[in-house]
Amino acid sequence: MNTVLSRANSLFAFSLSVMAALTFGCFITTAFKDRSVPVDIQVSKVMIKNVDDFTGPRERSDLGFVTFDISANLQPIFDWNVKELFLYLTAEYSTKSNALNQVVLWDKIVLRGDNTKLNMKDVKSKYFFFDDGNGLRANKNITLTLSWNVVPNAGILPLVMGSGHKSLTFPETYETTKSY
Amino acid sequence: MLSVFKSIPTHMDYKGQKLAEQIFQGVILVSAVIGFIYGFTIQQFGWTVYIMLAGFMISCLLTLPPWPVYRKNPLNWQPALPETSGENRDKPQENQKKKKHK
Repeated sequence: MNTVLSRANSLFAFSLSVMAALTFGCFITTAFKDRSVPVDIQVSKVMIKNVDDFTGPRERSDLGFVTFDISANLQPIFDWNVKELFLYLTAEYSTKSNALNQVVLWDKIVLRGDNTKLNMKDVKSKYFFFDDGNGLRANKNITLTLSWNVVPNAGILPLVMGSGHKSLTFPETYETTKSY
Repeated sequence: MLSVFKSIPTHMDYKGQKLAEQIFQGVILVSAVIGFIYGFTIQQFGWTVYIMLAGFMISCLLTLPPWPVYRKNPLNWQPALPETSGENRDKPQENQKKKKHK
């Protein structure tokens, strides 16, 4: 500690250790919080088509089209340890060939500082709602749920499901494309 | 250019070093506690980091330069022995070199 460099070294190392302890403190204060809030999902339009699916092993698969409204207040989730939320809307159902199918239809990133009151109307799905086969037609119980992945400053990244879901039914017949 | 920096005296005596270490540890811990409480209150971790950095800067200013308060207890070196004949010349010079190196 006789020279400036030696004192600077010791000072800097001590600061970093204290910073690490503070970050751990930040993690501990928010590690056991419940990050779930109520979510309201409504569906306005449901349609189904049977199209060529080049990504699957069969000729034609079911393709669903869902238009939905989402509203939720995400403000209680944001605390000093949350950097952003990654929201995604999942459709979950079962068919004759597969017991459980989960398809992500839409996602959004909400950064800290953005508007946390989610109120989206008439949103079309971002990703294709392909089924592995032809099991969507006349499927009675498709459940839509909104979940999110909490990205913290320090700690674990939990996947949390919002409370509240919406069940919908697909129609019996395919929508045929009209030719002019 | 480096020789200019090397010629500035930066030493402190032992009691001064101990005082400097206590001062910077105290300042950084106090600023860490203040920063943690303030950041938790306004729920922004960024402010905790800023207050810690401010504490770091303050303790740099207080302890890095060798202020006179850190030189209050200097060691009493023996007075330099006068140069005698050639045989005894090496030993005293070696002793002086060893003492100054700390």
